[in-house]
Amino acid sequence: MKRGEQPQSPCLTDLQPDKLSCLPGHVIDQILSHLSIREAVRTSVLSSKWRYKWSTLPNLVFDNQCLPISSQDHSIIKNKLVRIIDHVLLLHSGAINKFKLSHRDLIGVIDIDRWTLYLTRRSIKELVLEIWKGHRYKIPSCLFTCQSLIHLELFNCWLKPPSTFIGFRNLKSLDLQHVTMDQDVFENLISNCPLLERLTLMNFDGLTHLNIDAPNLQFFDIGGKFEDVTFENTFHLAVVSIGLYLNLENEKNRWQGSSSNLLKFFVHLPHVRRLEVQSYFLKYLAVGVVPLKLPRPCVDLTYLSIRINFNDSKEISAALCLFRSSPNLQELEVLARTEEQQSTLGIQAYSREDEYWNCPVVQLQYVRMDGISGIKPELNFISFLLLYSPVLERMTVKPASSNGGSELMKELLRFRRASGLAEIIYLDP
Amino acid sequence: MSEIDMAVIKPEMIKAYVWLQISDGSVQQVEQEIAMFCPFICHEILQKGMGSSKNNAICLPQRVSPSLLSLILDYCRFHQVPGHSNKERKSFDEKFVRMDTKKLCELTSAADSLQLKPLVDLTSRALARIIEGKTPEEIREIFHLPDDLTEEEKLEPLKNTTDDPRIRLLNRLYAKKRKELRERERLKNVEAEDEHADEHGDERSVDDLLSFINGNDRDPKEIKTTKNKKKNRRKKDQQKNSLKETSELNKEESNGHDIRCQNAEADRIDDEIDPALQEKIDREVEDFKRILNSDWPKRMQELLSSSGQERKTMLFSTNGTSLPRRRDCMALFSCLYSFFSHMILLPSLTVDILNIIWA
Repeated sequence: MKRGEQPQSPCLTDLQPDKLSCLPGHVIDQILSHLSIREAVRTSVLSSKWRYKWSTLPNLVFDNQCLPISSQDHSIIKNKLVRIIDHVLLLHSGAINKFKLSHRDLIGVIDIDRWTLYLTRRSIKELVLEIWKGHRYKIPSCLFTCQSLIHLELFNCWLKPPSTFIGFRNLKSLDLQHVTMDQDVFENLISNCPLLERLTLMNFDGLTHLNIDAPNLQFFDIGGKFEDVTFENTFHLAVVSIGLYLNLENEKNRWQGSSSNLLKFFVHLPHVRRLEVQSYFLKYLAVGVVPLKLPRPCVDLTYLSIRINFNDSKEISAALCLFRSSPNLQELEVLARTEEQQSTLGIQAYSREDEYWNCPVVQLQYVRMDGISGIKPELNFISFLLLYSPVLERMTVKPASSNGGSELMKELLRFRRASGLAEIIYLDP
Repeated sequence: MSEIDMAVIKPEMIKAYVWLQISDGSVQQVEQEIAMFCPFICHEILQKGMGSSKNNAICLPQRVSPSLLSLILDYCRFHQVPGHSNKERKSFDEKFVRMDTKKLCELTSAADSLQLKPLVDLTSRALARIIEGKTPEEIREIFHLPDDLTEEEKLEPLKNTTDDPRIRLLNRLYAKKRKELRERERLKNVEAEDEHADEHGDERSVDDLLSFINGNDRDPKEIKTTKNKKKNRRKKDQQKNSLKETSELNKEESNGHDIRCQNAEADRIDDEIDPALQEKIDREVEDFKRILNSDWPKRMQELLSSSGQERKTMLFSTNGTSLPRRRDCMALFSCLYSFFSHMILLPSLTVDILNIIWA
C-alpha cells in the first residue's frame, strides 16, 4: 500500500485544501492546549503531518481525565498511567512550561522522582504535584535545584531540601497544602525566594511559628495550626487571609499581659486591601490589650471578613478596633462562630453601647452576616451597623437555624437605618 | 458660502482613516480607531508612519484576504468599544465563530499574522471544540486531512506513541531479550533430559552443512549466510549444549535483530517506513515470537509451513525429542533456505556466521 501522495503546496490546492495543518506552530500549540492531553496526543494519527505536532505542547496536564477507563484495580490504572507519562515525556520535544500531575490513583509512585529530574533538566516553569492519597510524598532533592521554577504547587508532600538548598531564585508563586516541613526549612524557603509574590499554605505539620520575610509578597493565604505569625518587610502585602484552626482556650493564661497581637500584626501591613480573619484568628488577635484604634489607619482596606464569637467581648472590641482603623471599608462579611455561641455566657456581652458611638463606618456599602442566632450582642452589632453606615446599600442576613427566625426578623425590622438606600435581605437558613 | 463650509466641517465628524492594502492589491480605507485594535497595523502606523494616504498604504500580510479583513474589522469594531459588558462580548464572540471550519482556519491564520491575540484565542478555542471528542476519521473528514498513516491506526489512541519506529524497535529488542532468557532457561531444563541423543546428530549435521556448502553451485555468500541461519536455528531446535547454544542464540538474536534493524534503518530515511515492509517486519516479529514460545515440534512445523513446503509431516517422528534424519535435514535446509531467501542479508555478517559453524 503506497503512502498518500503529498501535494506540493497543500495550502494552495483547490480541491479539499488542508487549511488546518498550515497554521503556524504556536497557533496549533494553542489549539491543542485547549484539549486534554489524551485528545491532543490522539491527533498524531490524523495524518503524517500531524504525527508530531502534539510534541511541542508546552503544558502537560495529567489528571483524572487522561485515562478514560475506570477500573476497580488501581494498580492497573497506575501502571497504565506511568507508561503513558513515560511515553509522553520521552516523545516530547521543545520546552515544557507546565507539568501537572493530579490523578487519584497515583499513590506512592516512585516514578515521580524520575519525572521530576527530567523536568528539572527541561527548565520547567510551573509544577503542580498532587498526591491524592497515601503518605506524604517526599519531594526528591533534584527539585530543589531547579532555578527555572516560577510556580510550585504541592499537595500532600514532605519537603526536606538538602543542606545545599539556596532557594528558588525565580519563584513567584508557592502553594503548599497538606505538607510537612520543619520550621527552619520553611523560613529558609521563604527568605530565599526573593521574588515571591503569592504564598498559600494550608494544613501544615512541623511548623508553629510563621515568620514571613518576603519583600515582594502580595498575596498571603494560610490556614492551619500555628502559634503565632509575624511579618517582616511585607509592605506590598495586599491580600491576606489567615485561618487559625486551633482553639486557644487553653493557651489563654500563657498570653495574659502580653503585648497586643493586633498591634503587632498590623505593624507590617500598611497597605492591606483585603483581609480575611478566619476560624479562631480573631481570638488570637484579641489577645493582650486591645487598642481602641490602630496607630496607623488601614487606608487601603476595602474588604474585611471576620469570623467572630459574639459572646466574647474581647473579640468584639478587636472587630470594632478594626472598623475604626479602616476609614475606607466598603464591604464587610461577618460570620458567627456558631459552635461557641450555644453556651451563652451573656454577662459581659452587651453593656458596651458607649463603645459603639465612636465608630463611624462611612464608606460601608455591603454587609453580609452569616450564622446569626439572634442573641443580644449580634442584634446590637447589626443595629450599630445600620445606624452608622450612611451609604449602606445592602445587608444580607442569614440565620444559623430556623429556630427563632421570626423573632430575629421582627428585631431587624425595628432597627433604624441611616442610609435611605439600605436593603435588608433575609435569607433562609 | 463660508457658512456652509463651516457648517459642514464639524470637528466631531472628522475621523481619522488609514489606508490598508490587501493581498489582492486593492486598497481600502478604514477608521483609524478600529484598525488600531490590531497590533500589526498599530505598529505600522506608529513606528513606520504608514497608512496616511492611498499611496502610502499599509501592506497587510498575505494571509489576510478581503473577506477575512472585513470579518476581522467587524470583530475589532465591536470589541474596541469599551462600553460593552463581559456578557455582551461573550455572546458576540460565540456568534462570531459560527462559520465553516475552513474559514475558521483561515481566520485564525489571518488574525495571527495581524497579531490580534484575542481573536486568535477565540478561534483556536473554537477549533479545539471542533476537534474535541471526535474520532480521527471524523476529524480528517472535517478538516480534509490526507489519510496517509493507514497502518498506524489503532483503537487505543495513546498507544500510538508506541508505534513510533524507534519505540517499536526498542520494544522488539526487549521482547527478544526476554524470549532469549526464557529460552535459555527452558533449554537448560530440556538438555538435562536428552544428553545422549544429540552427539551423533551433531557430527552428521556438520557434515551435511559442509557438503551442502561445497556441493551447491549457488551464490556462496547467500548459501553460507542462509545456511548459517538455518544451522543456528536447527541447532537451537536440537537442544545442543547450553554454552554453544547461548552463543548461537545470541548471534541468531542479534543477527535477526540486526537484519531487521538494517531493514528498518534502510527504509527509514526520512523517519517514515514503507508500510508494506513494515507490515512484513511486524509479521515476521510476530512469527518469530510465536515460534520461540511454542515447543520445538510445533516450531518446526511453523518454519516449514511458512516456507510453504508440504513435506513437513515427513520430518517428524512420533517422539517429539528425537532428531530428524540426515536426508530430512537436507529437506529441512532447503525449506529454511527458501524461507530466508527473501530477506535481505548483508555480506558483513557472513564472517561472523562462518565462525559459528567452525567454532
